[in-house]
Amino acid sequence: MRAVPGALNGIRILDLSWGIAGPLGVLLLAEQGADVIKVEPPGGDPFRAYDGYRVWNRSRRSLTVDLKTDDGREVFDRLLGTADVLVESFRPGVMERLGFGYDTVHARHPRVVFLSCPAYPDGHRLAHRPGYDALVQASSGQMWEQPGWRMGPIFLHMPMPSMGAFFLVSTGVLSALYARELTGDGQHVTTSLFAGAMLYTTQIWQHVEKANAQFHELMAKSYPPGIHQQMIFECADGWVHASVMSGLTPEKSQDEILGLDDAPDPFTFMAMAAEEREKFNARRREKFKEWKRDEIVAAFQQNNHAIEAIITPDEQFTHPQLIANDMVKTVVDPVAGETTQVGTPLHMFGTPTAIQGPQPTPGQHNEEILKELGL
Amino acid sequence: MSGPLSGVRLLDFGQYLAGPFGPMILGDLGAEVIKIEPVTGDMMRMAGKPFFGCQRGKRDLALNIKDPRGRAIALELVATADIVHHNMTAGVATKLGIDYRACKAVKPDIVYCNTWAYGFEGPLARFGGLDPLYQASSGLEHESAAVHEGNTPLYYRFGMCDASNAMLSVVAVLGALFHRQRTGEGQEVWTSLFDGGAIFTSDAHLVGGVPAPRPHLDKDLMGMSATYRLYRTQDDDWICIAAVTDVDFKALCAALGVPEITDEPRFASSASRLEHRRQLETILEPRFRTKTARFWTRTLDEAGVPNEVPVDTQGGELPLFDADNVALGLVAQYQHPIMGDVRQFGELIGFSETPGVINGPPPLVGQDTRAILLELGHDEADIDDLVANGVCYEPDEHYTERFLN
Repeated sequence: MRAVPGALNGIRILDLSWGIAGPLGVLLLAEQGADVIKVEPPGGDPFRAYDGYRVWNRSRRSLTVDLKTDDGREVFDRLLGTADVLVESFRPGVMERLGFGYDTVHARHPRVVFLSCPAYPDGHRLAHRPGYDALVQASSGQMWEQPGWRMGPIFLHMPMPSMGAFFLVSTGVLSALYARELTGDGQHVTTSLFAGAMLYTTQIWQHVEKANAQFHELMAKSYPPGIHQQMIFECADGWVHASVMSGLTPEKSQDEILGLDDAPDPFTFMAMAAEEREKFNARRREKFKEWKRDEIVAAFQQNNHAIEAIITPDEQFTHPQLIANDMVKTVVDPVAGETTQVGTPLHMFGTPTAIQGPQPTPGQHNEEILKELGL
Repeated sequence: MSGPLSGVRLLDFGQYLAGPFGPMILGDLGAEVIKIEPVTGDMMRMAGKPFFGCQRGKRDLALNIKDPRGRAIALELVATADIVHHNMTAGVATKLGIDYRACKAVKPDIVYCNTWAYGFEGPLARFGGLDPLYQASSGLEHESAAVHEGNTPLYYRFGMCDASNAMLSVVAVLGALFHRQRTGEGQEVWTSLFDGGAIFTSDAHLVGGVPAPRPHLDKDLMGMSATYRLYRTQDDDWICIAAVTDVDFKALCAALGVPEITDEPRFASSASRLEHRRQLETILEPRFRTKTARFWTRTLDEAGVPNEVPVDTQGGELPLFDADNVALGLVAQYQHPIMGDVRQFGELIGFSETPGVINGPPPLVGQDTRAILLELGHDEADIDDLVANGVCYEPDEHYTERFLN
């Protein structure tokens, strides 16, 4: 399938996971060259109903097996004998009921790294609660942490717990594979959507006995939303997010570019009373409205100021930097036809990453895989 | 063996967040992480908590790499390391004499990782940048606020593009380390904040040049559909439901006292419920308003309808002191010599055979300078001279006048 061997060449992963965290976590391994077989029930993983799944579920083969039948279990056990990694995302207890709990699998296939990513950790009082991403956003506290345009909890469009957990899935598998080279044995690696939610609390959740209260207040949740929100500006035809820092030496100041001649320097500005700052910001906002979005972005960047247009996700594909990062890819999907997808965000000069192929249809590789197993 | 990465040594030349967070996570997995910090301290120290959020468990060598003697020490240390990791902007590592080529010369199989703002090359590669830019460029801020409904874009205050860049670097470094273990070959890898944003909206794609359907928030930021969203309850509290299957929808309507609406064609399938989203919400909203959030969660649990009451964590106080979270290792606790008791998230990945470790608090500037230099073979007199000349720093009696933490 690939021209240049990836870092995980020769590693076989069985992916039983559904949703976002498992499939996307596995994606980062598949595109490093692992041979991933998605093992799904006849009829397919129910999350396939979502169009976006075709991105998260690419770069793997599909085998449909009914693990509730003896025949299906036998095929899966045979497959485990050829595998290095198993990834699953069921609620605690489900794999045991299917006859493939960690202890059983480890006893029969001691080298297999067995990764579980349920919604909540086994042993937690929430472990048997339903595991939809939004519900973990609610129970983990993320909804209340996010300010919005009204009081109360805010539904996060980005499925944040899952978007944390997928990194923990890739990280867990790779760490255990590394350790296996030294110990010879696989092990049970566990993470959860709940842990994924915690990953993104690093800047906001710390109990520090003698912390700098002033700075923390600046960073705290506020209504209307504070800190970085103040750098969002409306233009004549859209929105931009400017930045106070670019790491470069600006030629003209942002205010000079906007045409605000009597602007205070940034330090004076920061020291001004909040009311005065707001008065000046109101003038700034008016000035931005005189510019077209892409024109102010170009003018700022030419003068070494960091700024981005606030685009829709679909607009990303024309972003010159996404193209430069080799992250705009054409993938021919067996069902949808020609698609444009985000590429692999891991850039490895020695072992290049690559999309291995489109999302397979359910059972697309049944014959091929069963043949490999001698069945 | 403590942690799957036990025996791995990583040099962290990074500052701020997107650089140091990845090494911290690798440290939690058992790697020995040495923070090489300017003698004037990491610029992020002044931020307090966010600094703590990406520095725990590291050793610390305070070193002026711009001084030739400092650079020589940095390279001596590289020769003992498995991984070099930093988030310097374009050209800085080369100027300092610690780019991939320089590190490879002293350690041929080094794994070298640079986490960029934008990328290794390209029109914006020379720029540094902060997390909000990549919430904009990936479309997160557009979707988070339902800008299509006329709202102002909304910044997520989690700073998760920083963390995403760092986690991408963890995955890339681990892949490279595994490859090195099997072949003896090191390599250079890179990731970026920009790509870290893009992965969050990676389900967005074009089919034949046309955007594929994707769910959006409503104007009030309640949720994605009538059955996957927040509702306000009688006590001005809230409940989040996920009644996305036909079975769950039927159970929901029965529990809410409107079983008859499940027979209506406009609500018969998830597609038709999405199409008539507003009509369905207009029926459900007043029902939720008749009882408290606690009543509804009990009732919906009994009916088997997936739901949660959103938790107000009081800025993290509840989860960091939660008995289950503590028992399961999800909370790290340690004593910092200046800042006192600290709690933050703990081990987010469990390993049955090689459990990870939290190696204590974020380091003081230069707290391990002497120990590390001795390990490298420098003698006490040499170290005293390096400190006296400002090439190195170790904490002295004026520490708290110079540094916050």
